[in-house]
Formats: sequence, C-alpha cells, structure tokens
Amino acid sequence: MRPRLIFGIAGIVVFTSLVMFNFSQSISSYVCFEEAATMDNDRVHVIGTWDSSQPASFSTETMTFTFFMTDENGNTRRVVYPRPKPNNFEQADQLVVIGQMRGDTFVSRDMLVKCPSKYNDAINPELSELQ
Amino acid sequence: MIGILGQAALSLAFVSAILSTWFYYRAAQKGGVRSETLANALFFLKGAFTFFASGLLVYLIFTHQFQYYYVYNYTSSDLQNVYLWAAFYSGQEGSLLLWILSSFLVGLAIIRWTTPEYRAPVMVFMGLTQVFLLSMVSGFPIPGWGDLGASPFRTLASEMSDSPVFRANPDFVPSEGSGLNDLLRSPWIIIHPPVIFLGFAMMTVPYAFALASLWKRKYHEWIHPALPWTLGANLCLLTAIFLGGYWAYVTLSFGGYWAWDPVENASLVPWIFGMAGIHAMLIQKKHASSHKASIIFAILAYVTIIYQTFLTRSGILGDSSVHSFVDLGLYNHLLLFILVTGGVGFGLLAYRYRELPEPKKESPILSREFMMFSGAMVLFLSGLVIILGTSSPILGRLFVDNPTPPDQQFYNDWTLPFGVLIGIMTVVTQFLWWKRRDAESLAAVLITPTLIASVITLTAVIWVDMRNVWWMVYLFAAVFAVAGNGQVMIQMLRRNPRRIGGTLTHIGFAVLMIGFLGSGFDRPMVDQRTRDYNRAVAAGQVYDDDGFRVNQPIEFVELEKGKPRLIDGRYMVTYQSGAITERNRPGEQEYEIVFEDVRSGRSFVMRPTVYPMLSNSSPGAVEWTVDPDVRTSWFSDIFMYVAGSALVDREIERMNRENPGHMQTIDQLGPQMADYDPDETRIRVRRGGTVQIGEYSLTFNNFTYVDEAELPDNSIIGVKADLLLVHRESGESVQIHPAFTLVADDGSQYAFNPPVAFNLPGEMAGQEDETEYDQGTGRQSGTYPEANGALQAAGSVRFLEVHPDTDEIELSIRGVEGEPEREWVLLAAEHKPLISVVWLGTFLLMFGFSVSIIYRWADQKKREALEKEGRDPEMIDEDLRVDDVMDDDAVAADDDYDDETVDGGHADSNGDPQEKEQRPHPTELK
Repeated sequence: MRPRLIFGIAGIVVFTSLVMFNFSQSISSYVCFEEAATMDNDRVHVIGTWDSSQPASFSTETMTFTFFMTDENGNTRRVVYPRPKPNNFEQADQLVVIGQMRGDTFVSRDMLVKCPSKYNDAINPELSELQ
Repeated sequence: MIGILGQAALSLAFVSAILSTWFYYRAAQKGGVRSETLANALFFLKGAFTFFASGLLVYLIFTHQFQYYYVYNYTSSDLQNVYLWAAFYSGQEGSLLLWILSSFLVGLAIIRWTTPEYRAPVMVFMGLTQVFLLSMVSGFPIPGWGDLGASPFRTLASEMSDSPVFRANPDFVPSEGSGLNDLLRSPWIIIHPPVIFLGFAMMTVPYAFALASLWKRKYHEWIHPALPWTLGANLCLLTAIFLGGYWAYVTLSFGGYWAWDPVENASLVPWIFGMAGIHAMLIQKKHASSHKASIIFAILAYVTIIYQTFLTRSGILGDSSVHSFVDLGLYNHLLLFILVTGGVGFGLLAYRYRELPEPKKESPILSREFMMFSGAMVLFLSGLVIILGTSSPILGRLFVDNPTPPDQQFYNDWTLPFGVLIGIMTVVTQFLWWKRRDAESLAAVLITPTLIASVITLTAVIWVDMRNVWWMVYLFAAVFAVAGNGQVMIQMLRRNPRRIGGTLTHIGFAVLMIGFLGSGFDRPMVDQRTRDYNRAVAAGQVYDDDGFRVNQPIEFVELEKGKPRLIDGRYMVTYQSGAITERNRPGEQEYEIVFEDVRSGRSFVMRPTVYPMLSNSSPGAVEWTVDPDVRTSWFSDIFMYVAGSALVDREIERMNRENPGHMQTIDQLGPQMADYDPDETRIRVRRGGTVQIGEYSLTFNNFTYVDEAELPDNSIIGVKADLLLVHRESGESVQIHPAFTLVADDGSQYAFNPPVAFNLPGEMAGQEDETEYDQGTGRQSGTYPEANGALQAAGSVRFLEVHPDTDEIELSIRGVEGEPEREWVLLAAEHKPLISVVWLGTFLLMFGFSVSIIYRWADQKKREALEKEGRDPEMIDEDLRVDDVMDDDAVAADDDYDDETVDGGHADSNGDPQEKEQRPHPTELK
C-alpha cells in the first residue's frame, strides 16, 4: 500500500465519522411538551398549533410574545418567544418552537411558522364563500 | 380553447423531444448526417412548440382568464404588467417551462458551436433531460393512466372538481384570481429566476459532454468545449445566488443574506461541484490526469441540481424550508429523473472505468496538479457536508425519528475549516501553477503573503477584540489568500492580463470569506439599559418571575413618537412619522426614523415599510410583513425594520371591525360614523391602569360607591370612577368622579351617566392662576373662577360603561386633545459589519469568471481553427506563448512550463522538479 493511499483512506474514515457524529448531534427530533420537559438540550423542537382560545400578547415590558400552544398529543403549554409575533402567526396551520421547557413554560429561541403554502391551496375569498 | 391548444403544443413538444433524442442517438451510433439533420429539425420544432405554449400561457395571464388554475392561482387583475410577466414563472409549472426554454436555447448554442464529432452524442443527453423536464409539464394523456405531469393549462374546474361550486356550475369562472404572493411582488423576481434556470440549463452541458466522452471513448478532448460552459453555468448560479441573497437581505425580513435554507443550498451545492469540476478539468488540460474526477464532478454537478430540485419540489422539505414547494404529484416523476440521470451517468462511468486513463506515477505533493486536485477534493467534501445537512429529513432518520434540520451551526462549523484550507491552497497552487518550485523556493515566495496576512490579522484581532481562535485562523487564511493571489495577479497584469480570471476569482473568494466573518459580529442596536440587560443575560445573571434563567437577549427598542433615544451608544433615533402611504401596495405604511450620529453630528432618515399581505391572507386574519431599510456604508450596514407599531395595531383593529365575519368582541367600541364627533375621545381603561391622551395621563384609580342619597329615584345600582388626570409636563392634576347609574323605569333599564365637567390642569391651570391674580387687582370681579374655567378651558368626562369581566370602564372624554394611545414603534435595528465586503467579493468572483469564460472560449475557438487546418491543437499554447513577451524571469506568464503532450498518454510530470527549476524571480530573493 502506498503511504498516500493509507493517509487518504484514514482521512476519509476520520472525516466521515466526524461529520456523521456532528450531524447526528446537530439534528434532533420533533417531540411533544412532555418529552421536551425531560430533555436537557436547549434546542428542542416541539410541533403544535396555536391555542387561539387563550390570550396571546406581546409585552413591551419584557419584549416577549407569549401565547399558548397545543402539541400533537393535545397538551397545552405557555410559550414565551423573545421577539414580536411573527407576521403570519395567526395563519399558521403548524408551529415549530425551538427552545426548552422551564417548568410549565416553554422558552422558545426560535419559531418556525408553517403556513398553508401559496403554491398549494390558496383559496380566493370569492371561492371560499361559495364553497 | 386556448388551454387545449397550449396543452396540445406541450404534448407535441414532448413527442418531438423524444423523437429528436432518438434521432440524435441514431446519428451518434451510426454517424448518419440525415438522422442528425432530422434530429436538429425536431429539436427546433420542440423549441417552437414550447415557445408557442409559453406564449399562450403569457397570453392567458395577461387576459386574466381565471378559469385556468395557474392563472387563477398566481395572478389577479390588479397586478402590474411586470408582475404579470413574472407570474409566468412564479409557480412550479411555469418555472419548469422557463427551465425548458433555457435548456432549449443552450441546446441551440451547442448545435451551433460544437464540433460535429461531439454534437450528436452530446445532444442525446441534452435531449434526455429535456424529455424529463417536458414530461413534468406536458399533461400528455396516457390512456388508462391519466395525464403525465402537471400541465400549466389545467383548468380550475378539473383541479377542484370536488368543490361544490363546480358541481353546481361546471362553467363557473372566478372573477378574480388569488394573486401573486406578496413577498414575490418585488422587482427582483424579474431577474432572479431566469438567471437560476439559465445556470441550471448550462450545467447540463458538462454533464452531456462527460457522458458523450464516456460513450465515444474520447476521454480527453471534451473538457475544452465543456470548460467555458461550466464556467458560464457557475457564473449564472453565482449571480442567481447573489441576487437571491441580496433580495432576501434588502427587502425581505430574513435578517441576512444567507440562512442555509435548503432552497439556497440547492443552488450552492451544484456551484461548489461545478467549481470542483472546473479545477479537475484544468488539471486534465494541463497535465493529462484526473480524467475520472472531471467526469465525476461534471455528472455530480448536474445530478445535484436534480436532487435538490427533488428535495425542494417534492414536498419533503415542507417542514424545514421557508420557501419549498408543495408536492404537485411530481414526487415519483422527480425521483425517476434523479435515478435516470444519476444511473445513466454513473452506470456509463462504471462501464468504462477501467478504460479511463490513469497517471502512471503519483505526482509529488508540491506539484500544481496534486495541490489543485486536493483543492477540488476539499470543495467536493464541503459540498457533501452541505448535501448531508440539507438531506436531514431523509438521512437524519439514521439517527432519530422525525429528524429536524441541523442547526445552522452545523454548516458554519464545517464550512469554516474548509474555507481555511481552500484559502491557503489557492495561494500555494497559484504559485505552483505558474512556475515549478520546490519546497524551498515555494517557502521563499510565501514569505510576503504570510507576513502581510500576519500583520493584518493581528491588527484586526486587536482592533475588534476577537477572542475566537478559529476566527483568527480563518481571517489569516482569507487575508493570506488575498495577498498571495494578489501578488500573482499583479505580476500577471504586467504579462498577460487576459489570463487573470483564475487569480481574480480566488481573490474574490477570499474577500468573500472576510465578508462572511462580519456576520459573527452582528449586534442588535439597542439603548444602554437594554445593552446592560443583555450583558447580564449573557453572563447568566437574569432570572424571570418563575425563577428561571433568561437566555434570550432583547433585540428591540420601543420608540415613542418624537422622543429621541440613544441606541448603540452612537445614534440618536427619533420616530418622526408613520403613515399609510400605499406607495407600492394597498395598505402599505411608511415610517420615517431619523438617525443622528452623535459622533459626527450627521443625520439620515431611514424609511422601513410595513404592509398587509392581502393576497396571502383570508379577510379574517390578515398577515403583515415588513420591508426593512438598509443603510450601506463601506465597513458596516445598518439594517432595520419596524417590528410593530401603534399604527399597525390600529389597522388590525380596523380590519377586524370592518370584517363582519371576524368580530373580535361583542361590545362595540365606537359610535355610528354618522354622529362621530372628532372632539370626543373614547377610551377603555382597566382599574389601576393609565392611558396617555395627548399631553395628559388619565389614571383610573378605583370605583367609589355612591351614597344612596345621591342616587336618583328607581336606581338599581350606582358607581363612580375615581379618575386622576395629570398634565405630564407641569405635573398638575385634577380629580374627576363621573358616575354611572343604572335606573329602572317601567320595566326597562337605562343608564344615567351625565358628563362631568372639569378644568384642564397644566397650561389652563396657569391661566387660572393669572385670573386669580387679576382678581386680586380687582379687574375681573364678579366671576367665579370655576365657572370661568368651565366655560373656557373645560373638559368633560362621561362614564359610558362598566366591563366587570375585564375590570375595565369605558369613558367618553371631550376637550382633551390628542390620540388616546401613544404613537410608538418597535424598532429592530442591527449593526452588520462587512456586508459591503461580501458584495465586493461576489462582484470580483463574477468578474473573474467572466474573464475566464472569455479566455477559455477564445482558446477553444483557436483550438478548433487549428484542428481545421490539420495542425495539432495542442500547439495552441505555443501560439499563445508567442503573444507573451517573455522575460527569462517571468513568473506570471510562464504558463506552460511543463505542458505535457496530452495525446501521448501520460504526463511525465514528476521528473525531478529541481531539474527544471528556473532561475528564481528577483522578488523571491528578498
């Protein structure tokens, strides 16, 4: 075996294992609030929907937006988001909050707002009224 | 009718594409000139049909024929012409059409400019990709199976046949379309998508050439014609990436130019593989090695385009991307497309693998081909890492269920060391490229860039107080690359300026690296108090009410109208005005925020806008979005937008009120418009709460109960409000106690709540003082001061309603001027260093690519001309050398010091380098 080949193979093995390890560390899976409470990670992803029956407001005092979200198992928790309400919040058919549970409150670092896509099923008011 | 015509045109184009590919195949197999002529004719026909269909689609869009799904879904009659035009490719089907049209034009260029021996086999593969793309939009009816792909000419009725509207009336035509996505209504949409698809189309060329070379067993020559096309494809992708990044930065609120979004990665990875391919081809050209790499990268660059198209258009990324498409039923279609393009490519490669030329001996490490090949490998690996991250919805399943996309940190962590490697390797390779060197002479020339880079890096580290060691290394590599490549470029400018393309792109890349570093120093521009708070948050000293540590800094500043606030320790910002201007869109609000630089005393106005996304929203819940304003300067930008404002809140309230389907609460706030009184202000205030009205603050302290004796007859209950009205400037105040009494009268109830007059505190009180003084001098006698005040400077309060559920009361106030609420904006401003440097790097890259394309194109033409004359095309480099006035010690222009004979097989490049070592350049002797 030529030394350069050995180096190359060793390099590829080390590189691949490092990348895969790092990759597996940097992804996580979508969980519910109860699971999130048991996780130590501060970038837990929780999927859910906005609970519009409870108050949601932005406080100019703490500069946080607080709302209630119901996860896929039907559990509702208070969520604190450190920015103003995202533009398309009310429209979202799904929210993904990224952060961690603090007691009964989910402190979110980021929030992804998944909207009914424009490329799919935007329904004209005229049409939706007729339906 | 037109729809049927369009559908027919697309179906015919699809059939012509298949036939033309077939005849190209015949021509390539048997060498028939007639087959090729026929194939060309069919290819033109296919293009003509596609253009015709596109023209029809544009016609349908411009004539607002909303019975067509595509027209209905992406346009509305109020769209300006430019956006109607852009709507052609705003949807998925139309963008595929645009891709096909671009590929057709590229195909024409191939037919026109490619040498006959390559023409037919290359066109087979060009045609194959066309067949696939066309099949996705053809709507070609296949008996017993359905229509092939998603035609842009589908009617709304066929698309929504389940809808009751169409069941009741199949001929129903909506009078209005649902409009173009508001975010897409930006001038950038005119240019951004066409450039991307032109890049995609051009990237087909190296793929087709590589496969043709495998098929025809001409492993070497293909790179000459393919090289300018690959460079062109990379230039297009780069331009498109730049346009997209700039668009995202200046008009969308993404907050930056790059977010590692899957759709962004979709054009970045092919660009990186294209770069790796270009380098591999250059090695092959100069050294007759790395044939395999050239072919593999050319295949990969195209297959990743299809793969990323698959990721973004199949709906797989729905959860993780801001702008991925929804599945149009093309999932299997796209999967087949990847499998076929990848399968044909790698299958052919495997079939011919043993035949491919291979260098007999290894190149030494300090040879240009080895260094350049390593560089290409680093590019390749970084592309792989980005693909891995983008594919997390699929590959993440190896580790977890329901995988999320990786943190952005994943991409940053990996691209940083790759960037460092690439930066250093560009310099080493450049020095080796133009002149053979051994370790010693190489070290000698590297001294200058190393010194420059060390000094600059050290200065910068101290200047900005950089703590991160990786960033220091990264900065060093970037500056080193600028200095080293710059040194080579200066020498070349003197010798042969037409060939500076390569060094120029390297400098551009290095400048880009420096610019990227700036994003590590982004900081929110906030006032001193918030800054202290954020510092405490960062130190982990802040706890919230529940006792948990706060880990999120505050990135916003609230500004009251006309009240300046110092942010970032440098800018006095004032919210000057905000109004609904409707400049570009209905409902658009424009704000004027004045920034005054307290250091220089200069001031400027920033004008961010906020607008409702009316075409994206249902009337019940209007979405709002912001359009930031950016102030660009040499070393840093100020990026800002209005994250919320009193004006927006009022507009939302108004829209809610006006939309009967979505009433917020039952209690109507306002009176009928008919008896609306501008002097009257209605407010709601909670017990213990304060409301600002103009120059006054009104506090509702508590309810006070009314004496039985004071109540009128028949009253059920009576209550008074204890109000305090304060003139904020003077601090003077007045107490008011309006009453609200519910009276029963003959079985019906009514409220008894007469207005209560009061004297306005503040200025008016001052006048009263004067009056009293005057009274003292006897000039104004006989008038009670109270009565005087009540007549001249009175306000009145009427207690309208009690809301026990929210503990609020509703009041009607007269005589107090001003809006009941304060005018405020929530200002999100960010200081972003080195953004201009990012753009500068991009422009240098573009310029470098352009120079290289011109040079390589001319090179190829010359080569073909020589071939025609029957001379050895490899002589071209000799010819070029004649153009250069060479000095003995010329470094820069000494391009071909060891230009091997290529046809003769394998380069004998590893003769003792010292043997060929030329006299060192005078500059190296320092």
